[in-house]
Amino acid sequence: MSDLESYRAKAAAWLQSMAPTFGRNARKGLSEADDLALGRRYQKAKFDAGFAGINWPTEYGGQGLSHLEKVTFDAEEMKHGFPSFYFGISLGMPVPVLMQFGSDKDFVKERVLKALQGEEIWCQLFSEPSGGSDLAGLRTKAEPDGNGWKINGQKVWTSWAHYSDYGVIVVRTDPNVPKHKGLTYFWVDMKAPGVTVRPIKLAGGESHVNEVFFDDVKISDDHRMSPVGGGFAVAIATLMIERYVATDSAGFGPHLDLFVELAKEIQLNGRPAIEDGRIRQQIARNYAMRSGLDSINVRARLMMQTGMMPGAEGSLNKLVAVRSRQKLSELAIDLQGSDGFLFDEHASQKEDWASSWINAPTGRIAGGSDETLLNTIAEKVLGLPQDHRPDKGIPFNQIPA
Amino acid sequence: MTILYDEGQQAIATESRRVLEARVDKDALLPLLERVGEYHRPFWDTAKEQGWTGLALPEANGGLGLGLAELGLIAHQAGRSISGAPFLTSSFGAAKAIELFGSDAQKLRWLPGLASGEIIGAVAFAAGPDALPPCPDVTFTDDRLDGIARGVSAGLAANIAIVYANGPGMRVLALVELAGTQRSAVPSFDNSRLIADIGFSGASAETLAAGDAARDAALHILALQAVVTAHEQTGGAEVLMEIARDYALTRKAFGQPIGAFQSVKHRIAELYGLVELARANCIHAAAREGAADFVTAAAAARLSATEAYDTAARDCIQIHGGIGVTWEIGLHLHMRRARSLAIEQGSSLFWEDVLVDQLAGEAA
Ligand SMILES: Cc1cc2nc3c(=O)[nH]c(=O)nc-3n(C[C@H](O)[C@H](O)[C@H](O)COP(=O)(O)OP(=O)(O)OC[C@H]3O[C@@H](n4cnc5c(N)ncnc54)[C@H](O)[C@@H]3O)c2cc1C
Repeated sequence: MSDLESYRAKAAAWLQSMAPTFGRNARKGLSEADDLALGRRYQKAKFDAGFAGINWPTEYGGQGLSHLEKVTFDAEEMKHGFPSFYFGISLGMPVPVLMQFGSDKDFVKERVLKALQGEEIWCQLFSEPSGGSDLAGLRTKAEPDGNGWKINGQKVWTSWAHYSDYGVIVVRTDPNVPKHKGLTYFWVDMKAPGVTVRPIKLAGGESHVNEVFFDDVKISDDHRMSPVGGGFAVAIATLMIERYVATDSAGFGPHLDLFVELAKEIQLNGRPAIEDGRIRQQIARNYAMRSGLDSINVRARLMMQTGMMPGAEGSLNKLVAVRSRQKLSELAIDLQGSDGFLFDEHASQKEDWASSWINAPTGRIAGGSDETLLNTIAEKVLGLPQDHRPDKGIPFNQIPA
Repeated sequence: MTILYDEGQQAIATESRRVLEARVDKDALLPLLERVGEYHRPFWDTAKEQGWTGLALPEANGGLGLGLAELGLIAHQAGRSISGAPFLTSSFGAAKAIELFGSDAQKLRWLPGLASGEIIGAVAFAAGPDALPPCPDVTFTDDRLDGIARGVSAGLAANIAIVYANGPGMRVLALVELAGTQRSAVPSFDNSRLIADIGFSGASAETLAAGDAARDAALHILALQAVVTAHEQTGGAEVLMEIARDYALTRKAFGQPIGAFQSVKHRIAELYGLVELARANCIHAAAREGAADFVTAAAAARLSATEAYDTAARDCIQIHGGIGVTWEIGLHLHMRRARSLAIEQGSSLFWEDVLVDQLAGEAA
């Protein structure tokens, strides 16, 4: 058994032992507050067992292992339905960025340890009503204020802001220069005076995302994590940090074998639906697509293992998988006909077709919309021209609104 | 087996690409379309000279003892340059049938010639829409074949064929020499495939497998050929994606390269997705040879490669506008090949069924 395989076995065994306390079944019927509390205990247990911050430096309480162990653990963890998503963004991007760009090392260390143990949660305050795909179009501003800064404006779509203790934020510090050049990157205390968090209810009925308002929020200059005007580069670094996160060829929806089971159980025209050509075609095509992604991902892992850089094809994961999930979920509801109406907004997106379906659109938008992903592939991988950008080179305050 | 190519394999890919780019071009291929029954001899001579014909056959039988991954890499390059002869796949399939299911005498008799490329093999399983018919048209009685095998790729030039036939109360996988059989060329949209109807009237044949074993054997051979073909299709799709990209960078309209229009650039980015999924499935399938899920992996490779090549052919022509549909520019060579490869080793409908049977646990 390779080192990685024994690591996988060790992780799988530990996760298995945690499942009764923290897994899918233990969470059934819990309120969100109780689920979050359970999640914090689970995160602490992970930390104690040496499975938190797997690929982070040991000086910050991490394990000092590689991406490979991290991805391996994540893939095993995904199987049990643990309440770990509250920490997904926090530990995924803001906290690693803090480790990289935070200036006060003692402060950073304290924050990282608390985040790793589930005591504190961080959010990522990038998107705004006027700056989503066009991240550099944001308008929230920070103005010099004594020795520090004063923030005013509004962020939106901030995941878990309502539970967050801190956030990383990109704001405009100079409207007189082209849009990418006038941004600066800070961290903020989400409990500071002037910060208001207002949950947004999403289509599926849940409220993971928020509007966040900043009214004269004062921060000192030691909150700054980039040069003044150099925030865009750190924002891009944030988005690149977890490039090789655990992926799921099912698009974080149900696996195909659940669909095969459904098609075997359900009768269509007096015969099992699995015998219907339309259903068979969709099963086969989805399988071919997902197996391709699986193979891309296995190959990427093997490449990393031998010290090579994986190819750009990893960028296909979300684009391809979530579209496949969306359509397959529609078909699964079709198959159930009048039984397909049944909806439980707390059901798992990985096991319930209606829940998978209603939440699929967020997967095609959050973390880069399909269109921006296609642009990235076209421009960065294939070398096709950049889109026409009429705002290029123009001072931000002269761009027509 | 790992799914990372090693240095030797990468060298095979680079070298075969270099050789084929030097020796095959569309101007040599276009005239073949207008004649029935001719193939591009320089391609096959190259294949023989480079040892590709025996690449994936055992050393004991005159081959090089490499595997499906290596042959796949050659097929990928052949797909990029549009191979001018159908034998790489069919001779390999025929040779594997003999290697896996033949007697020592049969191996001794046929494999060295197939490995050197002097003997050409064909595989005749299909009966119209059925790639592996429950009841084949050709009958096998007392070691003799009767009936017509329809639409056999490479059939016009092959020396031997592996036939899936209807024996007394069971199916038979049979080996037959084609000298003396009635062969008629099928005029096709892709004439260099040498497609033939082969008529047998009492042709003497030898059994390779019979009964349930015959169907399993035939499916296995078909799956092997499907993996080779999928590589070829992926190569074709890949080069079309590159051609489309290059054209989109140079052709201008409304004051900018057409590749700056999102409807064009996204279309090419989507091709990238299809090509990479197909490639990933091909590499995986080649690595699964001999494993229990080989047929599943082959089906997935075949489905994604067919989709990639057909879509790339459609979209690449579309992106070229009017020039894309001219005889001269030759994009129709790919369009034709995409379709002929799509049906040669069992259509998507066939492989969808095979795949779902495997997934639903209903495999024979
Ligand atoms: C569930 C969820 C969680 C999120 N969590 C966070 C978070 O924690 N922190 C955070 O900062 N953000 C978060 N986001 C925001 C997310 O990053 C943005 O929603 C996303 O980047 C798209 O921006 P937008 O919503 O403003 O859409 P827009 O940018 O307004 O896009 C609208 C449409 O225009 C298309 N479009 C835009 N630009 C182009 C282009 N150049 N070419 C072609 N089409 C284009 C888009 O593809 C889309 O179809 C979250 C979003 C969701 C849905």
